[in-house]
Amino acid sequence: MYDIGDIIPNEAISSIQPGTNLLVRGPPMIGKHDLALELLAKGFDDGDGILCVTTNDSATALIDSLSQREVSLDRDQMGIVSCSGQEPSQTPDSVDTEFVSSPSDLTGISIGTVKVMKYFSNRNISSVRHGVLSVSTLQQYLDARSVFKFLHVYTSRVRDTDGLGVFTLHSSTQNEEVVNTLSSEFDGIIELREVDDDAREIRLTGIPTASRSWCTY
Amino acid sequence: MTQSQSPPVVLVVEDEPDIADSYELWLTGEYEIHRAETGEKALSKLDDLAVDVVLLDRMLPGISGDEVLHEIRSQGHSCRVAMVSAVQPEIDVVEMGFDDYVTKPPDKVELRETVEQLLVRSTLDEELQEYYSLVARRSALESESSDEELAKKAEYRTLVERIEAHRESMDASIPDLTSDTDFIGAVREIDNQYTTGDENDDPSQGN
Repeated sequence: MYDIGDIIPNEAISSIQPGTNLLVRGPPMIGKHDLALELLAKGFDDGDGILCVTTNDSATALIDSLSQREVSLDRDQMGIVSCSGQEPSQTPDSVDTEFVSSPSDLTGISIGTVKVMKYFSNRNISSVRHGVLSVSTLQQYLDARSVFKFLHVYTSRVRDTDGLGVFTLHSSTQNEEVVNTLSSEFDGIIELREVDDDAREIRLTGIPTASRSWCTY
Repeated sequence: MTQSQSPPVVLVVEDEPDIADSYELWLTGEYEIHRAETGEKALSKLDDLAVDVVLLDRMLPGISGDEVLHEIRSQGHSCRVAMVSAVQPEIDVVEMGFDDYVTKPPDKVELRETVEQLLVRSTLDEELQEYYSLVARRSALESESSDEELAKKAEYRTLVERIEAHRESMDASIPDLTSDTDFIGAVREIDNQYTTGDENDDPSQGN
């Protein structure tokens, strides 16, 4: 089981079954990225591998934001597949990083994740939390159909290898149909929404014991 | 992509005629088989034929199997490649771009299974394409109707059933993705960078 503690408030769920794929979705700037990072960083204490496919942040920025969350961050437990295209010439300090030229190079991304997983298994790490941050950037480079197909294969990989998948996706009223189509590939959906000024709510659906009701976040 | 009318095309790239003969014998009947003794000839055949599966010997005279594979990928041919070699692959070969690796000499069962599995995988893109259209159609219906209206719509109920059935048949044809080469092979199958040769855009499926 993957421990998520009390990251999702008001939920009876504090751990997630291996092989589960979660989608964090909500409007831009509401905190999806931070929530996804929390779900991933929680794995450091349990000795899980943290594999991030990053399309926006540079590998260095990602390591920094994970370090801020987790004091016990062990760099051997981290691996990054960076396709943000904004990279320094050297790889970040002691974190296994694979570079892919563009988010549209899906084969390159899959090869990168395989290499990171080999790195983990050489260190006897078998439980892996996968972060794909973010699906919205993939959408800027690829049509919805290609993104959908890639998500189908990637979530199947997470399921078959007993991992935990955490993906982020912007939602808005303009792209509701596409968001719903892409969402069908996930076991659980974590939604974030804004209610009043500065107040946010969260709900989890799709997971059998989830309460499915909105609560303050 | 396999056509239901014509048999799948297999290209055997092997410099030893005896070995190529046995491959041809084992595969004959179900496939259209072509042969090339060198990497150069293999690449020119790939330009002329719509090859589904390449059985590629790694040790070739002239340009090596590794180089042929590299060329196949960089030229964007959409065929699947099984590397055939007496040498066990090193740990770090995932980047080489083959879809399967067969230890030489393969036996009949092994060779046939390899080709069959690669052909099953070649249907993945098409199946996912169909699945995507169904799910996209369902999302469109959901966004234009309320839950009560949807429950009454026969089209919606049929669609939901078709999606369910399609998902099951698709899961049965996707290999167990614990294997690294199967996972990368499946992604390569759907990657537009490798499938530019058989685009089948359907404007009616827009969003």
